[in-house]
Amino acid sequence: MIDEQQREYERLIAPIEGRMMRAVWRVCRDPGDAEDAFQEALLTIWKRWDRIRPHPNPQALILHICIHAAHDALRRKVRRGKWLDAAAMPEDIADSSASAVQAVCGAERNAEVLRAIGLLSKNQGRAILMHWVEEIPYGEIAAALDCREATVRKHVARARARLRDLLSHPIPPVRKEEGSHA
Amino acid sequence: MLDNDANDDVHDLIRRGTQVEIPAAVEDRLRRRLMEFRTRVEQRPPSRLRTLAYSLLHPPGVRVVAMTAALVAAVAAGLVLIPRESSASRVYAAAAAELRSAGSLAYTVVLVEAPYVAVDFSYLAPGYVRVRTSWGIEIRADRKSGKQIVLMHATRTYVAEEGKQVESMADAEEFLEQLRSLPRAADELLGERLAGAKKLIGYRLRKAPANTGIQGLTAFDLWVDAGTREVDHIDIAIQEEGKPVYQMHIRNIHVGAGVDRSLFDLTPPAGYAAMGKPGAAAPQSARALRAQIGQTGALTAVVVPMTGPYTQATAAVQKVEAYLKAQGVTPAGPPLGRFWDEGHWEAGYPAPPGTRAEAPFELVRLPAALAASVVVKGPWGTDSGGRWVAFLQSVVEQGYVPAGPAMEIWTGEEGGPAGQFTEMRMAVTKGR
Repeated sequence: MIDEQQREYERLIAPIEGRMMRAVWRVCRDPGDAEDAFQEALLTIWKRWDRIRPHPNPQALILHICIHAAHDALRRKVRRGKWLDAAAMPEDIADSSASAVQAVCGAERNAEVLRAIGLLSKNQGRAILMHWVEEIPYGEIAAALDCREATVRKHVARARARLRDLLSHPIPPVRKEEGSHA
Repeated sequence: MLDNDANDDVHDLIRRGTQVEIPAAVEDRLRRRLMEFRTRVEQRPPSRLRTLAYSLLHPPGVRVVAMTAALVAAVAAGLVLIPRESSASRVYAAAAAELRSAGSLAYTVVLVEAPYVAVDFSYLAPGYVRVRTSWGIEIRADRKSGKQIVLMHATRTYVAEEGKQVESMADAEEFLEQLRSLPRAADELLGERLAGAKKLIGYRLRKAPANTGIQGLTAFDLWVDAGTREVDHIDIAIQEEGKPVYQMHIRNIHVGAGVDRSLFDLTPPAGYAAMGKPGAAAPQSARALRAQIGQTGALTAVVVPMTGPYTQATAAVQKVEAYLKAQGVTPAGPPLGRFWDEGHWEAGYPAPPGTRAEAPFELVRLPAALAASVVVKGPWGTDSGGRWVAFLQSVVEQGYVPAGPAMEIWTGEEGGPAGQFTEMRMAVTKGR
């Protein structure tokens, strides 16, 4: 039994361990939140193990579970207004050189992007993260979400429109000379 | 391939905003979680208690709600095996119909008979659900308002949550719903038997629904009271490949008016501290506290039954000590306490054979049993919240489940906390 389970782990999880962790971290960006979301995802995978094994595309399903847990954590955080806190900033901002200011603005832009993703509905958020961020093809997302490919395309299109609204005033890139006035 | 307009500005912004490397420290933490997960995957396939164990062992952070809700839901999910389709009798049909239309329902699922491991479920329309385990964890949820409270009786802590966390009770409700949607006809008539003054008629359902994930259901026997036409109890038999037949029972079934509304009260009980707030102990690392599993000997003790805050423990012990002294009895060991919840606990001393006890004192006999135990250093009766959570995690990690109340045995010096020790002990049974 152990051999069989080892083989199952090697087949299903081992090849995508890095992708699973990255998928969660990219969305959570907080060590505690990421660990909680990852644990939540592993628990779900454990509970659904018997359904994941025979799935036509188990790895897309596993990644979907990870992304779902991470997006849920992000949505909760955004709803509670705990977003854009100090954790999103580089630690040392005393240096007012261009690169430091650029780093701060970059962090703010990233935070704004994540906040916008956190404001998407569950379906839209999962679809956009799977397709745009994890680069999973529509067909595989549809198999993981157990829906038609056209539905996934619709979620992505709606998410894009919503994101365009939410990010209509993104923070402009900081040019080098701007940094010296900071 | 990505879609054609993937290169638009929004897409670019999203990609740039999310393409980050994982810090090494975070990757280490996540990789540790993966390693633990891998070990569990490789050790055994999922089963009811395995899922429970995993849930209990891996709480996300200190969020006990998620942990306890998940573990209870896992128990419930594992029990979702009631056949929906099958091929009758008027008595059976009446009992099934009553369950279907029940505005309230309560019952106990006995997972293991001896030692006793069970989960109590209660439902009250329109959406109150209560789940209580025999090892001291209770969840009360109001689905309509989206609120729930999780009570850790052994540690006198609670977490009140709303929104997302309450969704984790959905599996438990699914189980309730399945009990409320029994098929209209049974597969087989088992006959009649007497249970005390009651005449019971047995009906068997054989098929498990395809999507339950539970394999090996061989019998689901409902015993209906011929007089009241209510389900008296249900016996369930599961035969999984390579394993002995597993028997499980649903008892204490109350349909209709038999459910007490106060069971669903979402107000934290007096004396319970909110988890994660000042005054509430944070869970210790399970790694720092490993319970030893072993056989304990039988014990006889004189105790005083108590209700109310555990802070009365010292006074209770002193009361028993004074009583024994007045009887001329020397205690046979250090003082101890057994805790079910604040409505039911006791403290006292082991006593030599032949000792008698008069009210309010009681003589209790604890049989020899398989138990988990660990001795911790530190002041008596403090930080029990953290260490009991860690203790339970350690028990489940080793493949056991609680089968008795939390027990503490206090040794060391009364003078100061530096020389004080507490043995934490709990009867356990092997998980499936």
